[in-house]
Amino acid sequence: MKLHFIDYLIIALYFAFVIGIGFLIRRKVKSSNDFLMSGRSIPLWIASLAFISANLGAQEVIGMAASGAKYGIMTSHFYWLGAIPAMVFLGIFMMPFYYGSQARSVPEYLAKRYDEKTRAFNAITFAVMTIFSSGISLYALAKLFEVILGWSFELSIYLAAGIVLIYTFLGGLTSAVYNEVLQFFLIVLGIAPLVVIGIYEAGGWHGVVSRLPDSMTHAWKYMGSAQDNPMGVDVWSLALGLGFVLSFGYWCTDFLVVQRAMVARNMASAEKTPLIAAFPKMFMPFVVILPGLIAIALMHTPGSHYQLPYKPDGVTLDYDMALPSLLAHDYPRGLLGVGLTALFASFMSGMAGNVTAFNTVWTYDIYQSYIQRNKPDKHYLHVGRVATVFGILASIATAYLARSFNNIMDFLQLVFGFVNAPLFATFFLGMFWKRTTGHGAFWGLIGGTLAAACTHGLTLAEGKGGWLGANLHTFHSTMGQNFVIAIVAFTTCFLLTAIISLFTRAHPEQQLVGLVYSLTPKPNAGHLAWYQKPTTLAVIVLVLVLLLNLIFM
Amino acid sequence: MKNILDLRFIIGAFFAVVGIVLIGYALISRSADGHQMNMYGGAVYLVFGLLMLILWFFFPSRIQE
Repeated sequence: MKLHFIDYLIIALYFAFVIGIGFLIRRKVKSSNDFLMSGRSIPLWIASLAFISANLGAQEVIGMAASGAKYGIMTSHFYWLGAIPAMVFLGIFMMPFYYGSQARSVPEYLAKRYDEKTRAFNAITFAVMTIFSSGISLYALAKLFEVILGWSFELSIYLAAGIVLIYTFLGGLTSAVYNEVLQFFLIVLGIAPLVVIGIYEAGGWHGVVSRLPDSMTHAWKYMGSAQDNPMGVDVWSLALGLGFVLSFGYWCTDFLVVQRAMVARNMASAEKTPLIAAFPKMFMPFVVILPGLIAIALMHTPGSHYQLPYKPDGVTLDYDMALPSLLAHDYPRGLLGVGLTALFASFMSGMAGNVTAFNTVWTYDIYQSYIQRNKPDKHYLHVGRVATVFGILASIATAYLARSFNNIMDFLQLVFGFVNAPLFATFFLGMFWKRTTGHGAFWGLIGGTLAAACTHGLTLAEGKGGWLGANLHTFHSTMGQNFVIAIVAFTTCFLLTAIISLFTRAHPEQQLVGLVYSLTPKPNAGHLAWYQKPTTLAVIVLVLVLLLNLIFM
Repeated sequence: MKNILDLRFIIGAFFAVVGIVLIGYALISRSADGHQMNMYGGAVYLVFGLLMLILWFFFPSRIQE
């Protein structure tokens, strides 16, 4: 792919705007709260779009198009089953506790609800995970641009990291959130024309569908057995593993996304943030998954002259190239610049989200809690900025690590699953059972994580796992294996936490007001018009997502 | 004075500029492949950008709340 002056001009314009946002926001940053929490002043619509943009990183944009090309419409399960219900649950049931407790982060909520050791465990694992996620995002960007544009690995890494550093260092979380919203529109408006052009080129929607195998055009029809569908998962592990454990574990407890709702202006906005975000989120498959299907359809469309590239082995299709190769095939110079800027934006959005979540957790949950307490606010503002620089440098180091050890990416994705899956059990019990104790939560988390590791070590899928020397089960796909690992981790954590809690002393009830559902006064939405009530929004969201599932059944 | 920190201004300005650049490029490269696509794409971005700028200019606080 060769870029021209006009493409570079558009990319340069985008860079100028994102850096400009950093300089504009800088004037507003006067305290650590401004820098790390946006002064809790973000309007609802911005918080909502930032909420989904923080998740709209490179893995999402490139990865979902790749999955679309590989699995077809089934990939939409990651949205309609694996995101929307959890976002509704977060808005209706969990945000009142996160926001109402005045916690500045998810680990801080754990400190209030449980104890310091549970907070420390979560804060440290989260901080490490965000750095690695950010580094992987950077690595993926550099690798992609090396392949499609011929840019050097170093140039891509230092350019992207340098720009993210400038705007997050200057404007902190507000700057990251503002850029995430700009990036959201850029990704949608930069890729949506590709979908329109691609469908037109393939002879309309019917043309696309007629050129794909039937299993790629149905979300549920082939889910009866793991052998029948290309994903290699059955309906139960999909519903429990993805639809419950992994999605609720991610959307309800991962500070990276929850932070975007926690910085809303008031409780009502915080509750509505994930609900409003659910509307664009449920339609994102049409922007990020459809290009994958279109790519496969175009390969079988006479006269399109499109071919999805092969991997270096010359036999396997390189699905990760579905979106970039389609951009190169369908966009003329000019529009190509916009499309590539959208890809750049997605990488930077993911990285900035991770770095701003990292600097908050580091400053408030590690540094202020265990290293230097009771310092003036200016000190913590300074620490937040230093943490931002450190986060970027550590991400660059991680990107080089990923380049040296290819398998490290698979390994890290697996470890994230180990850590995230049991966490939802800890929160669920903590919010809805007042008897849950800190000892129960802490050992439940450790036990759940170890159970996940053991399940991976004792099972096999596509040659992965089985490192404990025995093989108790062979899965049809690594995806199926990951879903079962998540279910085991959640169940172990849930049971261990409950059992240990019964034998240890719980907090007095008065300490749990605002932290546990049964002891907290319910927010009164009686003064709101029906269409402003969170429950009404939730019902509309769920009905719409049900309709989408039925349409693409 | 209008608040230029309002995100609608930033988004509007960005897409309006990108739209103008694409339309301008389409006009000066009429013979090139895909100039129509750049024209239509640019028009969409320009309209979206102007819409955001109108919202920013005429509805300063109500929408942002």
